[in-house]
Amino acid sequence: MRGLSLCLASLLLAGMIAGDVYATSIPYDTYNYDYRNYIHFTPAAYVPERTIRGNSFTYNGEPLGNFVTPQDLCQADDGRIYVADTGNNRIVVLDEKMRQVLNVITVFDNNGTEDSFKQPYGVFVSEKNEIYIADSQNNRIVVLSQEGKLIKIVANPQSESLEDDYVFVPLKVAVDYADRIYCIAQNMFEGIMVFESNGSFSTFFGTIDVEISAWEKFWARLASKEERAKQLLFIPTEFTGIDIDPDGFVYASNIDPNGEQGVRRLNPRGEDVIKKGENKNVGGDLWINSSTEYAGPSQFTDVVYRDNGIYSCLDRKRGRIFTYDHEGNLLYIFGGLGSQEGTFALPVAVEDIGDRIVVLDATRGEISCFEMTEYGRLINEAVGLRYDGDEASAVAIWERVLELDENNELANTGIGKAYLTAGDYEQAMKYLKLGMNRDHYSVAFRRYRNDMLTANASYFLTGIAVLLIVWFVYKQWKKKKGKKGGAANG
Amino acid sequence: MGKYFSKEKWKYMFYTVTHPMDGYYWIRHQDRGSVPMAILMIVLFSASFSANRLLASFVVNDVDPRAVDSLYELIGVLAAYLLLCVSNWSITCLMNGEGRMKDIAIAVGYGSVPITIMMFLGTLVSQFVADDEQAFYVMILAVGIAYGVIMVLVGIMQVHNYTLGKTLITLFLTLVAMFIIIFLLLLLSNLLGMVVNFFRSIYMEIIFRT
Repeated sequence: MRGLSLCLASLLLAGMIAGDVYATSIPYDTYNYDYRNYIHFTPAAYVPERTIRGNSFTYNGEPLGNFVTPQDLCQADDGRIYVADTGNNRIVVLDEKMRQVLNVITVFDNNGTEDSFKQPYGVFVSEKNEIYIADSQNNRIVVLSQEGKLIKIVANPQSESLEDDYVFVPLKVAVDYADRIYCIAQNMFEGIMVFESNGSFSTFFGTIDVEISAWEKFWARLASKEERAKQLLFIPTEFTGIDIDPDGFVYASNIDPNGEQGVRRLNPRGEDVIKKGENKNVGGDLWINSSTEYAGPSQFTDVVYRDNGIYSCLDRKRGRIFTYDHEGNLLYIFGGLGSQEGTFALPVAVEDIGDRIVVLDATRGEISCFEMTEYGRLINEAVGLRYDGDEASAVAIWERVLELDENNELANTGIGKAYLTAGDYEQAMKYLKLGMNRDHYSVAFRRYRNDMLTANASYFLTGIAVLLIVWFVYKQWKKKKGKKGGAANG
Repeated sequence: MGKYFSKEKWKYMFYTVTHPMDGYYWIRHQDRGSVPMAILMIVLFSASFSANRLLASFVVNDVDPRAVDSLYELIGVLAAYLLLCVSNWSITCLMNGEGRMKDIAIAVGYGSVPITIMMFLGTLVSQFVADDEQAFYVMILAVGIAYGVIMVLVGIMQVHNYTLGKTLITLFLTLVAMFIIIFLLLLLSNLLGMVVNFFRSIYMEIIFRT
């Protein structure tokens, strides 16, 4: 383990100066973890395309000015991109290509009076194209229509489970197909707050349980009351980012101090139904033990649901984007902190825009766009086909992936499974072993063994018969010899 | 050489494996065992151990082949063997054990034979099992190890002429002694390192001054 962490330290260092190691313009490594949790460098899945700053835009003939600590961005179903420009108290609407500003929402008509935002922290656009804005310092969620007309305001949640002096500070919002509002609020450790479509608070959702180890329990038992009062409280971690898939499952990221689970997939009842994959981990980096400042578990600050069960999480600790499939397998990891184009200072939000992944950097007020490479496209496509159950047509794509990345375990497993279905068990065994998929390998092996046995049954049986005869003859011969020998002795 | 590896010695070893009570008794009282052969058995055990880790089929084997170093494992096994024999001897010396060092070495060495055989067999069988038949493989290994442990136990008991209870107590104490020896060795190496360092720095000082 010490060796590992040493390796890790050097790797982390290498990660910071990777641009020098590889003679490419990509300022970060793209990698994945293999079955034995070794780091496995792959071709780039996404490459930096461009960086968008606020001052490159003009709106109504006037310069837009830079974004100031923007905290969230969101793409509507019609392709428009909404940026919560928190420090400027406005919402900026960009077109799909992010080439021009379509709208800037600073004020809205609140029943006759002109109203504005104060630190709008989160923004979300529902399927009905209604804009939900977490107006954090005004303690409310503002719902506007596409034209900027007020639809409703959600504020002052009332519930027995809330303390009387509770101040509602919404940070992130998401809305499902039934217009239920899911809100992450500041200092709300009970979970995500759910509001009904009429704006009334209904319940908490997806509470993260506190895990207390036996050792901590033991010490808590020994400690006196005064000592206990001085100790840290066991408070569950807060959620940091939220997204919703078309089926109404909520993806919510959180910061896990153990680095095991940084994202949850919550069903409509608020239960976590995420799949954790082979290494039982959806928490980002696996090599996190080291004494440097750069070590430690990944801190997921946002999550975005993409197509076909794929979701990406943004790690603010090392500025990396982790992409998982619906089974919890890591697909690719890319990104990094730094000052070059394509790296971040303080990444806060991630969004999937067609073939691109965009990341919002709060400190620099920039939007970084990453363009899909062939490698990334192939993986996304193959995983998509597998998600649809069409593993046979995924094979051709997986084979292309193997040309680019020989040791890709998902590709090997995918091909192996296809061979298994096709009945070529020998090939299936070869690929499933390369893909380290024991269960399917075993199935292929058993069928291969049965085939071998039935094909060669005649040889086996003849062999056994011959052996039996030889043994029998030998016994007879020995008996005779024994008799003879006995006679000679006698 | 022939004396240690004669046909009779080989035969007697397998007799001991099948009849540990009798076998070990006569090893103690008629010198029918052979220490070089016991050491050979330990070497074979280490080989089969490494082979099992490396060659057992993918279905049952989760060991990273890069983590297997048979030479390193051989040294480790031999060191553990030496340590076990020495500490058992030191304990039994104080507890009226009748066994000599060579008897202990033989008892442990011969005791490893069933484990070696079963591990070899298991590696072979593993080539033919699918995942829900893993139980066969595990059972083969478990039987081998259980029989090996019993053999070592009986061996220690017979060569020292102990009762079972006393054997168990001495084995526990042996374990303690092993830890003490390891601790002392670490201490010794540490102190030796300091002494070496001391002389080296004196040497350096003289070199730099002249």
